[in-house]
Amino acid sequence: MAAIIDSVLLTLIEKICVIVVAAYLITRTRSFSEILDGRLTAKNQAVMVLIFGAFSVFGTVSGVEVFGVVANVRDLGPVIGGLVGGPVVGLGASLIGGGYRFLQGGFTGLACSIATILAGSLAGLVYILNRRRFVGVVGAVILSALFESLHMLLVLLIAEPQTEAVLVVRATAGPMIVSNSVGAFIFALMTRNLIRERETALERDEYHSELEKKRLELKIAQEIQQSFLPDAVPRLQGFDLAATSLPAKEVGGDFYDFISITEGRTGLVIADVSGKSVPAALFMVLSRAMVRASASGERTAEEVAKIANDLIAADSKSGMFVTLFYAILDQEARTLRYVNAGHNPPLVLSGDTGDLTLLKTRGIAMGVMEDAEMEERKIKLSEGDVVVFYTDGVTEAVDYGLDQFGVERLVEIVRFNRHLSAADLVEKITGAVLAFSEGEPQFDDITLMVLKGERKNEGELRA
Amino acid sequence: MKIDNKSSGDVEIILPAGRLDAPSSEELQERMVGLIDGGCRKIVANFSGVEYISSSGLRVMLASLKRLRKAGGDLKLARLHPYVRETFEIAGFTQLFEIYDREEEAVGEFGRQDRPSQ
Repeated sequence: MAAIIDSVLLTLIEKICVIVVAAYLITRTRSFSEILDGRLTAKNQAVMVLIFGAFSVFGTVSGVEVFGVVANVRDLGPVIGGLVGGPVVGLGASLIGGGYRFLQGGFTGLACSIATILAGSLAGLVYILNRRRFVGVVGAVILSALFESLHMLLVLLIAEPQTEAVLVVRATAGPMIVSNSVGAFIFALMTRNLIRERETALERDEYHSELEKKRLELKIAQEIQQSFLPDAVPRLQGFDLAATSLPAKEVGGDFYDFISITEGRTGLVIADVSGKSVPAALFMVLSRAMVRASASGERTAEEVAKIANDLIAADSKSGMFVTLFYAILDQEARTLRYVNAGHNPPLVLSGDTGDLTLLKTRGIAMGVMEDAEMEERKIKLSEGDVVVFYTDGVTEAVDYGLDQFGVERLVEIVRFNRHLSAADLVEKITGAVLAFSEGEPQFDDITLMVLKGERKNEGELRA
Repeated sequence: MKIDNKSSGDVEIILPAGRLDAPSSEELQERMVGLIDGGCRKIVANFSGVEYISSSGLRVMLASLKRLRKAGGDLKLARLHPYVRETFEIAGFTQLFEIYDREEEAVGEFGRQDRPSQ
């Protein structure tokens, strides 16, 4: 008896190889994936009914004969179908498998086909009770063993003559319970892995789309900012002008602007918007437009600053503001009339002595409050004098030890190189800042504008 | 960023520590919004632990000040490092904020304002 059981068990285990391959192929079908995602359609349920039904038929024909009774994995297909795809798939597949078994006849035919249909239906019911989810590996194995025991019980109750039924059950109960449970384990394992794979893929996709969104946002912000910077520097009689803006990865909304007011008078703007990325870039566009709109005609720098501030303050939400330095350069009179609305004071270095003047006035960043006082001052620019307008991205650039570039270093570089042209000075300063912070990420936009009073002979030479 | 806070009567005192740059400003922003949403109207920011403040940091302080003043409250500053004070000065924010050398002065000022003037 023991030898027979062993041979039955061995043969059944051989079938497991077939089950592994079948399980792999079935779990990789699109219908199976859709059902795992909880998307049950008439089509994918029909496909699953056919596949698991066919698998059930295969279980019957591949069975091993014991005392004229076939020990088999007929119940496996309907049970897995029901656990994964619900009652329709479970019942449908079991009707095919059970129906086929019934047609085969034999004294256990009725009992066996009823058992299969019951197993498929109960598995479908478990799916519903488990809130339309797969029960997992342990659940599937235990249920499979239970259904198979039920199968045996039905054979004992229904099959006639009962003495033979007892013999059959004795011989097949162990192998059938074990082989069906092992089959369920294989299917369940693959199903669980597939569910995890899909969850991981979903998380990865979400993470990627989040990254992509962030990247796109940075790109948009940079494009907005760059498209609103002047394309070219105007040629000014008696002055040399140059400017640059190196946006940080997360742009900070720096900008500079040249506004042609009247013949011989030019508005110069340098500004830094608080905040980062798209909001900062949009606020930069707004601020730039407001200053431009205010700068027309015969208005003084103070008037321009007050009007622009009121316009910006009216639009500023959530505490956004812009530090802005506005100056009107009179090329004929060689004067700079300026208003400093909370911006880092530009540096003026005398061409002759190298003495430093800071362009400070009483003022407050634009957008902070309406009716803000804006003081205007005037400075006369001699030949060779250098004015350096900058944003805090220049002086607050940090090295690996978080030391800042600082104003002193900037002053020294300008003082030492004040004989250079405006464009060369811009290059010199940005080069020094980038070398200083080499290896460190650029946290803020680096924006720089240099105005230099041309010496008479320089102008003549160039002309 | 480490942000401690403590209470003195009905005045909430926050003590941020470290560099108040763009990322840490967001943390401070969340903390301030939490305090104000929670009904707090009198806040003192003790900046003795802040060695650097960026424009993002200024923005958080400004937004909090605006919200508090609108609700009848205030945000006072205490113990600013010279560099941080300079940043406030450049932006013109010293015209806006009440700034004190000591935390107790700032807290005391709230108490003084509460007493009805005779």
